[in-house]
Amino acid sequence: MKNRLKVLRAERDWSQQHLADELGVSRQSVNAIETGKYDPSLPLAFRIAALFDMRIEEIFTPDD
Amino acid sequence: MNAATTPRSKPGLWLGLFFAAIAVIAVLKTTAAINPGTAYMLLAGSFCLLVPFVRATRRNRGACSSPAAARYTKGIAISSALYVAGLGIAVYLDNRMELEGTAGFLVALLPVLPIFGMIWVMARYLMEETDEYLRHLAMIGALCGLGLVLGVGSFWGFLETFGMVPHVPGWWAVPIWAVGMGLGRAFMSMRDRAGADE
Repeated sequence: MKNRLKVLRAERDWSQQHLADELGVSRQSVNAIETGKYDPSLPLAFRIAALFDMRIEEIFTPDD
Repeated sequence: MNAATTPRSKPGLWLGLFFAAIAVIAVLKTTAAINPGTAYMLLAGSFCLLVPFVRATRRNRGACSSPAAARYTKGIAISSALYVAGLGIAVYLDNRMELEGTAGFLVALLPVLPIFGMIWVMARYLMEETDEYLRHLAMIGALCGLGLVLGVGSFWGFLETFGMVPHVPGWWAVPIWAVGMGLGRAFMSMRDRAGADE
């Protein structure tokens, strides 16, 4: 699954650690999600969407 | 403070040295180059390499480390030390007396009880870890350990059936499992670092 997490984070000038703290997860988790190595669970995807005040499908999109 | 500005220790180096030591000891013991007592002493000594590994891991994780991960590290360190001690006492007693009946059963339990402790620590970690990615990494590591035990055990078993290799005691399952878990975690860690951009 592709995502715009890195772009959204850069727009706000947030570090991975800051985003991780906001979401209550580890920096490793943020890095793994940003690089597409791990797809978050639905609850975490909802938390991410709520943090950026966006809908899930505006952040995460299927590969094809 | 992010990873780019934090001086990083090298837990992988210590873990690699630990596994290399275990592998060398296994080869020496299997080829009868060293006796069981020497193998145990070397094995116990090699566990000292886990101390700098745990310290380096803690330094690198810093604020990222969850309370569950801290309890896991502490629990595994304690149960590993008890396992080595229990194994040493069991081997020592076995070499010096004829163990049988209830006494043999109880002595055999000495290294096994800490193994139950390890299993409990891992199960508790999976239940307590609230970070789903860290939980995912732990499960991948455990599956790698299980895969190595099943693969090596089955392959060795067939080779033994064919009379091509000597018999190996079943308690080697735990060290082999630990090696598999370590390799799995190391692979995932390298994969993470390869993709990290800060």
